[in-house]
Amino acid sequence: MKMGYPMAFAALAVSAGAAFAEVESTDPIKLTLHDWTGQLITTNIMAAVLEEAGYNVELVQADYLAQFAGLETGDLHVAMEIWETTGREAMDAATATGNVVVMGETGMLAKEEWWYPEYMKEKCPGLPDWQALNDCAEQFATPETAPKGRYLGGPVTWGGFDEERVAALGLNYEVIHAGTDAAMFAELESAYQRQAPILLWVYAPHWAPQKFKGEWVEFPPYEPACYTDPAWGPNPQATHDCGKPFGPIWKVAYKGLAEKWPGAAKAVEAFRIDNDTMGGMIAKVDLEGQSVEDVVDEWMTANEALWTSWIE
Amino acid sequence: MTLWRGIWAGIALIALGLTIFATVPAGWLWPPQAMHLPFAAWLSAGMKWLTDSAAIGPVTVKGLTRAFATLIEAPYEVVKVLLVDGITEGKGRRATTIIPPLSWVAVTVAAVALGHYARSIWLGLLAGALMAYLAIFGQWDSAMVTLASIAIAVPLGVVGGVVQGIAAWRWRWVERVLTPILDLMQTIPTFAFLVPILVLFGFGPVAALLATIIYAMPPMVRVTVVALRAVPSEIVDFANMAGCTPWQRMRKVMLPVALPDLMVGVNQVIMLSLNMVIIASMIGAGGLGADVLESLRRLNIGGGVEAGLAITALAVVLDRLSQAMSERVARSEPRKGNWWRRHPRTTIVLAVTLATGALGYLIPALQDWPKAWQITTKPFWSDLIAHINVNYFDQLEAVRVWFLETLLLPVKRFFLALPWPFLLAVLTLAGWRLGGLRLAALVLALGLFIAASGLWEQAMITVYLCGLSVVLAMVIGVPLGILAASNQTAGRIIGTVVDTLQTLPSFVYLIPVVMLFRVGDFSAMIAVVLFALVPAVKYTAHGLRSVPAELIEAGVVCGCTRGQILRKVRLPMAVPMILLGLNQTILLALSMLVITALVGTRDLGQEVYAALATADVGRGLVAGLAVAAIAIIADRLIGVAASRARAKLAAT
Amino acid sequence: MTERPVKLACRHVWKIYGPHPERLLAGGAVPTMEEIRQSDHVGAVRDVTLEVAEGEIFVIMGLSGSGKSTLVRCLSRLIEPTGGEILYDGEDLLKASPARMIEIRRHRMGMVFQHFALLPHLTVLENVAFPLEIQGMDRAAREARAREVVQLVGLQGREGNYPRQLSGGQQQRVGIARSLAVEPDLWFLDEPFSALDPLIRREMQEEFLRIQRQLKKTIIFITHDFDEAIRLADRIAIIKDGAVVQVATPEDLVLAPANDYVAAFTAHVTRSKVVTLGRLAVAGLPDSVAGTLPGAARIEEVAERIVSADAPFAVERDGQVIGHVTPAAVISVLIGRSA
Repeated sequence: MKMGYPMAFAALAVSAGAAFAEVESTDPIKLTLHDWTGQLITTNIMAAVLEEAGYNVELVQADYLAQFAGLETGDLHVAMEIWETTGREAMDAATATGNVVVMGETGMLAKEEWWYPEYMKEKCPGLPDWQALNDCAEQFATPETAPKGRYLGGPVTWGGFDEERVAALGLNYEVIHAGTDAAMFAELESAYQRQAPILLWVYAPHWAPQKFKGEWVEFPPYEPACYTDPAWGPNPQATHDCGKPFGPIWKVAYKGLAEKWPGAAKAVEAFRIDNDTMGGMIAKVDLEGQSVEDVVDEWMTANEALWTSWIE
Repeated sequence: MTLWRGIWAGIALIALGLTIFATVPAGWLWPPQAMHLPFAAWLSAGMKWLTDSAAIGPVTVKGLTRAFATLIEAPYEVVKVLLVDGITEGKGRRATTIIPPLSWVAVTVAAVALGHYARSIWLGLLAGALMAYLAIFGQWDSAMVTLASIAIAVPLGVVGGVVQGIAAWRWRWVERVLTPILDLMQTIPTFAFLVPILVLFGFGPVAALLATIIYAMPPMVRVTVVALRAVPSEIVDFANMAGCTPWQRMRKVMLPVALPDLMVGVNQVIMLSLNMVIIASMIGAGGLGADVLESLRRLNIGGGVEAGLAITALAVVLDRLSQAMSERVARSEPRKGNWWRRHPRTTIVLAVTLATGALGYLIPALQDWPKAWQITTKPFWSDLIAHINVNYFDQLEAVRVWFLETLLLPVKRFFLALPWPFLLAVLTLAGWRLGGLRLAALVLALGLFIAASGLWEQAMITVYLCGLSVVLAMVIGVPLGILAASNQTAGRIIGTVVDTLQTLPSFVYLIPVVMLFRVGDFSAMIAVVLFALVPAVKYTAHGLRSVPAELIEAGVVCGCTRGQILRKVRLPMAVPMILLGLNQTILLALSMLVITALVGTRDLGQEVYAALATADVGRGLVAGLAVAAIAIIADRLIGVAASRARAKLAAT
Repeated sequence: MTERPVKLACRHVWKIYGPHPERLLAGGAVPTMEEIRQSDHVGAVRDVTLEVAEGEIFVIMGLSGSGKSTLVRCLSRLIEPTGGEILYDGEDLLKASPARMIEIRRHRMGMVFQHFALLPHLTVLENVAFPLEIQGMDRAAREARAREVVQLVGLQGREGNYPRQLSGGQQQRVGIARSLAVEPDLWFLDEPFSALDPLIRREMQEEFLRIQRQLKKTIIFITHDFDEAIRLADRIAIIKDGAVVQVATPEDLVLAPANDYVAAFTAHVTRSKVVTLGRLAVAGLPDSVAGTLPGAARIEEVAERIVSADAPFAVERDGQVIGHVTPAAVISVLIGRSA
């Protein structure tokens, strides 16, 4: 990503200015980058679209949750992916300050659930129904967890209530937390290479469900009541006796965005993309080794009609 | 002496008994809830006050820090234009290059020239070859981003360190204030202060630069103080007799005379800055660190290894060049003639820069190494790991399970079952025996801080994991050090491996380790041991090598065999040095904590990491301070033991 | 010897190290060695009173640890004395402001150090010119002056060398040249030749005397080498445990040591090296004399002539004949029978 050098830009503004449409302000709009490919693609597309409209855009590396501090003060302006499943609480806290506003859904749906590779179905024919899990606990066991099965959960920071789920549904499993998603998928890759048993937390959109054949475990479907009301679900004494919630991936922005760059705010709000398109692009980057820039360029060329409608 | 030996043996027995048989009441096992003080809330509130309302006169602290950030950003932008971006027209994706950045040929030639100037053409060729490696393996662009941030962080760290060092040398009270702060800066995991930095200095490369500087600066302060103290008193007297003002004395006498020593500090700052490359990339530094992280997130092991080796290559170039420069400082020869005669290398570099800059328009290969010519080893690394994984996993799993069951789990249980007042009492007693009342009070205070922070359990897991790793690192490292000291060829090979381990980001081997050993304590231990091994090897070898030749000759004259000389002469003489190595091993092991959190440990590192992920300033700092407390306790106890061992050797 | 004006005088100078050194001296007290030691203090310089005349070579001689280095640093105020006064041309240095002290050191003091204290990053010329640079003299002027002094110490041609390229003796010549660059009246030499090999030391002593004959500075010279002291000194102060034991000319020291401590130094000294003709002269003049010799001449220098002559020599002092000296008297000194 080559960023224009401000002084050079000022010197050349006369010749360059003509290339851009009139915008409200040429101050840079700061979009946050996180550490997963899908988000890089979403944000780069948004950046490219805003640049086409003539805005000055800056991409800033920022932690997924730490970024809210910056969004509240106006250090950062737009965050393109806040997942219902992992970011809802932080997003609500930020919007409650009045300084951060939700810019609508991205069009993508976040799915997170227990997941196993397809070859495990032979060894555990009852899957994907959750009730089959206990029959196969020994299949999924390792020396430290035996006779319990081993379920590889996400990093502790992701939350996810897996311990509660195991207890509520009477699952004979031990939850082992990976420290990062890299470590988590490293284990998946390792197990997949050996066709060894593994049961872990997978989320989509992500390259893993694209690269590895497998299925989600089917728990009783999530409803908000399940997490709050013990009476709900198969276990009348416990909450969390259901699957993980799923929901939209949101866009958020600093409230000053709409004041300073109203056109840009409209474009951010208009941004829509669906899971399949995104999954395809993630696979291109993560599995085929293309660069994010190339994949974004390709999308921009193919979808000109779509994105021009966002900035009109 | 025998009495105390008996007492310590008794204490050990009681500890074992307590952990195996006794059921300890809850409040005795871990500090009770009532004891916990809300340090995290206080720190968070303090930080909030600092960022929101604190002001010096009409200027808010935040305004000040932001202005400072802008100040640093300007030179960084300039260096980036030179090395990475060039001058472009337009913004973002539409940018077209008007004047390209320095070409790879120009930078490589500059590296050769610098090596030749600093020492010899051989060093120049080494530096040039490594730079060319970066181009050929397709790491050039990222490497230049990293180099640009190093190019800003190092001078700032050096200047800041020298200024503080001068103040500490000049005024005793400054030294007294700075010493504990430096201790904390070096022992608190970097992650813990990332969030405050983000809040104070904003998001982006500047915050990453500042984090790097904070991490890399402390050794410079210490080296400056030592270097200034080492200026011969006669030279200070001379400066006074010549009628120097304090400023003249510092600028014209002290600093130039101390320069060779100061360069050692510069070298340290460079190496530590490179250690920070990965962590800095987490808050927006980009470059090779970001490549490593990104590759590993995609499980592109080969990509991670290549980017990691590129960091090592950059580290080797900068390390060797700065070391050669520090030796070179002491022997400058004046030259005669006009400018380009006096500066032949600068002339060549400028000529090559201009020529490749201009010719680059006609022959792009001079500007950027063509993509088609790039070599890659990526598939090799991924296939290697896959091969091991598919064919040897069961054997590796057996090793892992053996270690877990016979070593890790029992030790973990032991530490978690130790009642906290008991452990605290034992540590305080040790402090009193080794260093008197002051040390005992310090140990007790730091221990109570951990107890009151509510992080006792995590602290115990930390102690267990680091303790075991340190023991393993010593068990592996000391024999390697002995081997390196007694055989030149072995010494050279071990030296290279150890240097690589020190500069290769641990992230690079963390993911393959997880693939082969799953997430959990064992993988974490491997990563810690690999990293903390380095000082164990280096200090042992150094300690053995620096035994006076006379003593060895005396042993030979007495008819000692080689083995006897090693056991009876060299090893005992090297004990203080090996203890220093142990001390460094512990500090490095603790500094790896946060990294181990990434493979799923539940220690203080995880606490710091979790705090970072939730932007919880107070929680992260408290956990960081707890790590620092453990480090300082270990450092002081072993430090006193080492100086006692030294005194004993001196007395005999 | 005619009385010359006093250039530097120190009166009751003390340097005591320890927790509360000033308390020991409160109210003009004169603590003994024992008192100082018992209160956990160290008396590095104790109640030293000295006068150095203009143009005199005044040697302070003591063994290592005797406090001689501390004393000379008190005299130049590199170390702040605990008490006393130091008068340089009548001005009390201990009352001088830091700025005044810088001024005095820049123009009126020079110092030569045991280990040369050359700046490793500067050439010979730059080292010599350094004190002038500090004063703010412009480059051309200070380098011209530096060349003069480099020539004085016989190092012409080495101006562009760095200290590490010179031998020890050459380095100390640079040190001497540097200390003379500012044309100081008062010249401190702190064991300047102790770090040199014996042969070089000898050569440097000659060199030093040559330069002094030319420049006639007031010199305070520190040494632990008694032979060096009697060779160079007009007067010697022997110090022990920080206090002055005896101040005298070399001849008086040898002939009349104040106590056993001094006597132990002088016992092995070849008398002919210190005893002057004036001391041997017998009143009255024989009928024929072989010539006239100055009373200040040391026996060693003139023994050859006196012994090989067949008549006594007349001895004069300040142009007046004070007596004569016979070959027999000289021989008895030479063979060490008496003085």
